[in-house]
Amino acid sequence: MFSPIKSTALLWVAIGAAVIGWAGLLYGLSRLRAREKKRLIIATTFLGGLFYVLEFFLPEKSSLFFWTKGNLNPFTPFLAPLGVASLAIGAFAFMLGVINLSLVHGGNIFRRRKGWYNSAAFFFALLAMIIFGLWQSYSKETTPVGKIVHRVYECLFQGAYVSLDSTMFSLLAFYMAAAAYRAFRLRSGEATVLVAAAFLVMMGQVPAGMWATHSLPTNQWVGNLRAENIALWLLGVISMSGLRAINFGVGVGALAMSLRLWLNLERGAFFEQEF
Amino acid sequence: MKLEHANLFHLCLMIVMCSIILATIITARRGRRLFIRRIPGLSAIDETVGRATEMGRPMLFSVGLGGIDPPTLQGLGVMTHVARLAARYGNRLLVPVSDPIVLAVAEEATREAWLAEGKPEAHRPEDVRFLSGEQFAFAAGMMGLMMREEVASTFLFGYFYAESLLLAEAGQEAGAIQVAGTPATTQIPFFIVSCDYTIIGDEYYAATAYLTQEPTLLGSLVGQDVSKAILLLLIILGTVLSLIQGEKANLLIRLLAPDLAGG
Repeated sequence: MFSPIKSTALLWVAIGAAVIGWAGLLYGLSRLRAREKKRLIIATTFLGGLFYVLEFFLPEKSSLFFWTKGNLNPFTPFLAPLGVASLAIGAFAFMLGVINLSLVHGGNIFRRRKGWYNSAAFFFALLAMIIFGLWQSYSKETTPVGKIVHRVYECLFQGAYVSLDSTMFSLLAFYMAAAAYRAFRLRSGEATVLVAAAFLVMMGQVPAGMWATHSLPTNQWVGNLRAENIALWLLGVISMSGLRAINFGVGVGALAMSLRLWLNLERGAFFEQEF
Repeated sequence: MKLEHANLFHLCLMIVMCSIILATIITARRGRRLFIRRIPGLSAIDETVGRATEMGRPMLFSVGLGGIDPPTLQGLGVMTHVARLAARYGNRLLVPVSDPIVLAVAEEATREAWLAEGKPEAHRPEDVRFLSGEQFAFAAGMMGLMMREEVASTFLFGYFYAESLLLAEAGQEAGAIQVAGTPATTQIPFFIVSCDYTIIGDEYYAATAYLTQEPTLLGSLVGQDVSKAILLLLIILGTVLSLIQGEKANLLIRLLAPDLAGG
């Protein structure tokens, strides 16, 4: 929708205007009284939600939009840029996380709390990742120093971070076995049905189960009794209907909550606090 | 199939459902008494907080991996209730978060909870901490926190992904009573297996209404139930029409998804 204009002078003007504009806006907001702040938040929330409501519910093309080229929905071209803008504004908050982590771990080191060396390791890892991450972005791999920097970064990212991530993910397999061992007990009739269904689904997923029923012909009705077909039927018909029913409830609940937030009807907890 | 724009049928359905919800909110605000059935998981929250206080061990509350969206806001609402109980009984509430914006909101919410109970000096700001924005780094941090602090109760209310089982199992190993609620249907089985109480589906969005008994929220719940009844009628009607007319000629499918009906 927006075409970039290449101009260094214009870039500096834009940066300056943005800084002055934001400073002025923040100063203006700090001077507002509590009631005015609340009204501003309500108005901004309503207008923001109204944009997305109008964009979705107005048709893609209509003679009502006589002022736009091709009678297209006037709100749709702004959808992507607004999404990017909200992501960019949200990204400013990333420093909040870093500051919080630094305060917590810095306090551990300063007060020599139990396990303070782990906090020292956090700072070491944070600085190493920042330094080598930025350095490798701006250095050329063809130079001797650049080659070392890229190697170190690869060790930190692929060797450490990705490996640790995969290790955590692999814990799921063991935890799933432990949870299944605890859960699948024949305590009642319903539990028995659950165990039976779980057994049938599992047999339909593993080669041993499929081999056990492979002799059943696929072109006759008895082919429905093959392990993989039973598993598919249980997952796709029985389980799916329950899942969709839950999704309906969740969807309507989310609709109601979104409506309350949009129209400032949400109550309880922190929604009524004064600023 | 992604729905880019609504058609007339979607618009009418949405207007009907929103009108019903708003109407029930208005009648509730005017004093109409509404009944909400007992939800065991939510009733157990007070008991769980009391147990942790008796044992002298802290509690942990997680709002999941989401940013500022309806599921996370709902989780923060429940967290505020738990924080007020923690402040009242003089117990600690650890709140690890994975989003910086949620961190700011959670810090403010817990501070206000301790202030509302008249104990601002007892509030520990460092108990609300940012762990990581990365899924498994957050899970690893939270698991470590549960083990080191030996939490007696954990509350998992929010949108979770694959790390849900890791967190629930870690809480099990720490010997904590666990209450979980999530709108993520794919994670419900893991919570049911590993947690003592699980809130599923629309019970999750009923949590704040149940805990606060606020008329607006109760009225909204009634509106939600009526809307679900309308959707159920549409499902039954659609099923009957499919049997009579077949899928392609089904009137409802032609109204809801013309692309699927080929027209």
